[in-house]
Amino acid sequence: MMEHEFKYAVIGGGIAGVTCVEQLSALCPDDKILLITASSVVKAITNISKVTSILEDFCVVEKPSVYISENCPNVTVKQTRVTNLQAQKHKIITDEDEYEYGKLCVCMGGTPNIISKNCSYVLGIRDTESVQEFQKRIANAQRIMIIGNGGIATELVYEVEDCEVIWAIKDKSISKSFIDAGAAEFLLPQLSQDKQSSTGSAPTKRRKYTIDGNKFRDIGHGTGTALGPDWSEGLLLKGLDKISHNVKIEYNVEVEAVMEKDEYRITLTDAEQDALSVWPVYVKLTNGTVYGCDFVVSATGVTPNTETLLKNNKFEVAEDGGLKVNDKMQTNILDVYAAGDICSAFWNPSPTWFQMRLWSQARQMGSYAAKSMVSHTRNQDILMDFCFEMFAHVTRFFNYKVVLLGRYNAQGLSTNYELLLRVTKGKEYVKVVLKGGQMQGAILIGETDLEETFENLILNKMDLSRYGEDLLDPNIDIEDYFD
Amino acid sequence: MVIRTYNEEQQYLEKISSCAWKIKKGFVPNMKVEGVFYANDALEKLMFDELKNSCHSQGFGGFLPGMKQIANVAALPGIIGKSVGLPDVHAGYGFAIGNMAAFDMGDPKAIVSPGGVGFDINCGVRLLRTNLSEKDVSPVKEQLAQSLFDHIPVGVGSKGVIPMTAKDLEEALEMGMDWSLREGYAWAEDKEHCEEYGRMLQADPAKVSMRAKKRGLPQLGTLGAGNHYVEIQVVDEIYNKFAANKMGIEHKGQVCVMIHSGSRGLGHQVATDALVAMEKAMKRDKIEVNDRQLACAHIRSQEGQDYLKGMAGAANYAWVNRTSMTFLTRQAFAKMFHSTPDDLDMHVIYDVSHNIAKVEEHFVEGKQRTLLLHRKGSTRAFPPHHPLIPVDYQLTGQPVLIGGTMGTCSYILTGTERGMLETFGSTCHGAGRALSRAKSRRNLDYTDVLDALAEKGISIRVASPKLVMEEAPQSYKNVTDVVDTCHAAGISEKAIKLRPIAVIKG
Repeated sequence: MMEHEFKYAVIGGGIAGVTCVEQLSALCPDDKILLITASSVVKAITNISKVTSILEDFCVVEKPSVYISENCPNVTVKQTRVTNLQAQKHKIITDEDEYEYGKLCVCMGGTPNIISKNCSYVLGIRDTESVQEFQKRIANAQRIMIIGNGGIATELVYEVEDCEVIWAIKDKSISKSFIDAGAAEFLLPQLSQDKQSSTGSAPTKRRKYTIDGNKFRDIGHGTGTALGPDWSEGLLLKGLDKISHNVKIEYNVEVEAVMEKDEYRITLTDAEQDALSVWPVYVKLTNGTVYGCDFVVSATGVTPNTETLLKNNKFEVAEDGGLKVNDKMQTNILDVYAAGDICSAFWNPSPTWFQMRLWSQARQMGSYAAKSMVSHTRNQDILMDFCFEMFAHVTRFFNYKVVLLGRYNAQGLSTNYELLLRVTKGKEYVKVVLKGGQMQGAILIGETDLEETFENLILNKMDLSRYGEDLLDPNIDIEDYFD
Repeated sequence: MVIRTYNEEQQYLEKISSCAWKIKKGFVPNMKVEGVFYANDALEKLMFDELKNSCHSQGFGGFLPGMKQIANVAALPGIIGKSVGLPDVHAGYGFAIGNMAAFDMGDPKAIVSPGGVGFDINCGVRLLRTNLSEKDVSPVKEQLAQSLFDHIPVGVGSKGVIPMTAKDLEEALEMGMDWSLREGYAWAEDKEHCEEYGRMLQADPAKVSMRAKKRGLPQLGTLGAGNHYVEIQVVDEIYNKFAANKMGIEHKGQVCVMIHSGSRGLGHQVATDALVAMEKAMKRDKIEVNDRQLACAHIRSQEGQDYLKGMAGAANYAWVNRTSMTFLTRQAFAKMFHSTPDDLDMHVIYDVSHNIAKVEEHFVEGKQRTLLLHRKGSTRAFPPHHPLIPVDYQLTGQPVLIGGTMGTCSYILTGTERGMLETFGSTCHGAGRALSRAKSRRNLDYTDVLDALAEKGISIRVASPKLVMEEAPQSYKNVTDVVDTCHAAGISEKAIKLRPIAVIKG
């Protein structure tokens, strides 16, 4: 007997959607929950999923079937594409069937922006299907071009070995959305060094995410789930040549044109054509330089995946294309919530928080949206999860640990702030943003051991003026001082 | 504040024994009692260098030398006995870390100060024993560490694995380890081997603010980062066989697990809230202090009482936290060795707090008095036969757990009668660092970075870079010096030394 009515439904099998479903299942073990995903489901690898004094749940790593259904028996997973949403009727229409829901959370993420949609030599690398494609192509490549200046581009530039990389960014410093120009300066030397082999034997300190096996069906372009934090793990990202790192960075440029080999050749004189080194594709940058390469990676962000939803429903959409949500993760349409890359946070945020399309925020939003939906069903009050009080993200760039706290680049503070800085070449980069003597944010690169202390100082809102730059003096055990 | 030369300052300091110095009244204004600090030769040099630097304006404006902080505490209303600096004393917010100060509950002017407890309320140490040996654990060290990481979330933004609702948190704040026991996360005998039996009865969840609760809710059962850690250790030396046996330690190489953690963001918020409230009330109650960070309130005032009740709630939270991690550690070991925590004899040897305020009975000049003791970076060390320590430790005295900094050795001490008299039953808590200016390097390594970062109208202040270990100044008060000094001073006695073989931290 097919189920068609569900108390809760979630569309999207990425980190936001899966976290939402897990949380719903934990809060309402007796209610029917539906997860619809167009592609493989992201699953969290963990040895412990739920620990109580009596019961302990183990999730073994490589399970062939969909992990969610097995561990959350009240959840039904349908791998199919949503073609329409009739929100007033509380109906979801898919390729294969129709479902009714009580409350819905849309976690459909974003579609990668590709700089040249029709060229087969331009690869978007935002989701699961494209990572596999990338891995195939890099094995035969001697030179690639990476366009984009975000987290994926930054990680990719470092991960790729045995292949020349031209990195074209529109900003004047690398990884602009994550770090400042000073930190960029600090990290750059790593690109001319050999890549450190990953410490496979060291224990991992956080939950790991991967993609659920090979259940992928080619449903359509851009329907893969977004990459989680461990996307490059276990992948062989090596090219043809035997060089560790060979990266050239072009600053302040955008792509003017992408041309396949023949397309480009005919624009040249005969002499130029003879002298030309042959590549499958050529990219002309706005500074006039033309590079030939084996293929181009477009890691230029995403556009929220709202097309299907907007067909028949009047959602309020923000300037960045995301569905507006309030401080309960609700859209303007009754019983429809949104979480992850598809939504735009439209509440008045805490002074030290802001939205950034990261896997960690997708997880936080998915979890909070679930709690919100349940509390509304039960007519209970709910307080916003504390993770929305202060921005916090931990990642790794160029083999350094990077911790970003609060308004780490003084976002939104115009010129009304000052900076404290401590740099030890090759070891650590510590930058603190202060306003009115209070810490608003910090960037910590390297094993600084300061993240917990600074998290507390930001949240305590303590007046630090009396310390001046002594606050960062390495001779003072600052974390002990505020213990 | 009077600015004196280093020589002038020294007039107020007098060596009273091979390991103790007196700080006379007048060293800072308004001292009601004298100060005392314990130090061996090495530690003494660090204390005086720190003072000298601050006199010669080589100091760190906002950070006062330990001696001055001890003296400023001696100027607080209602203080009784002496303001005591333990051998690991070093700069802290308000009170120095490693400063014990007692206040007479019978004196209406006596105060309580959150700076005398610390932000990380009930930061403390718990030690579990096992019946495993180093040779059992060494071959599976990495898997065991990974297993612990899987069970115990670490790092900024991590969330607890043990499910917890807002209601659970309220109950945990009120009941401390009794909550854990009820929920099945603790063994009954764990409580016996914990200060206050893991629950401060005066706790009142209503005195813990909503913001503090919000900070605490996702963090329960997590380790955080920084100087908190879980360490797998082995017994390296046994100095007192009788005491060791009472603790269940039979031989060198025996494996133990040390958990060093506190009340996380919840404690921080409780302390912050109290400091704000008390600063406001000080004018009203005409309380004057030498340092703004010594914000305080009369013990019997609304602010004072609110703080003590909130502090007790935060303390309970920390015990629940250490208990949750005990539970998770037991699970991890049991799984690893295909056994049960019971069969592995994973009992709690003891659990001590080193950031807390306690109401205790002590003898002062022959008379019994009720005192409010602030122990910040200082551990309770009750002697044999004290009624508040468990039955099995009545003959040995209370075990005192001293965690070195992560990666260095740790100790177990026992309390003494002499400590009871001299320091109201308090001893050190670990290691520390004296303030010291390294010879500044003409280091222009960072100009590229500075240029890149420069922006109009934004002031950038630069601190010197972190020196490599070998170049770092010897400003470190290592735990062995500290513990040896306590032993020499007779305020606690060495029983066991432990060394780490694996560390779990954020």
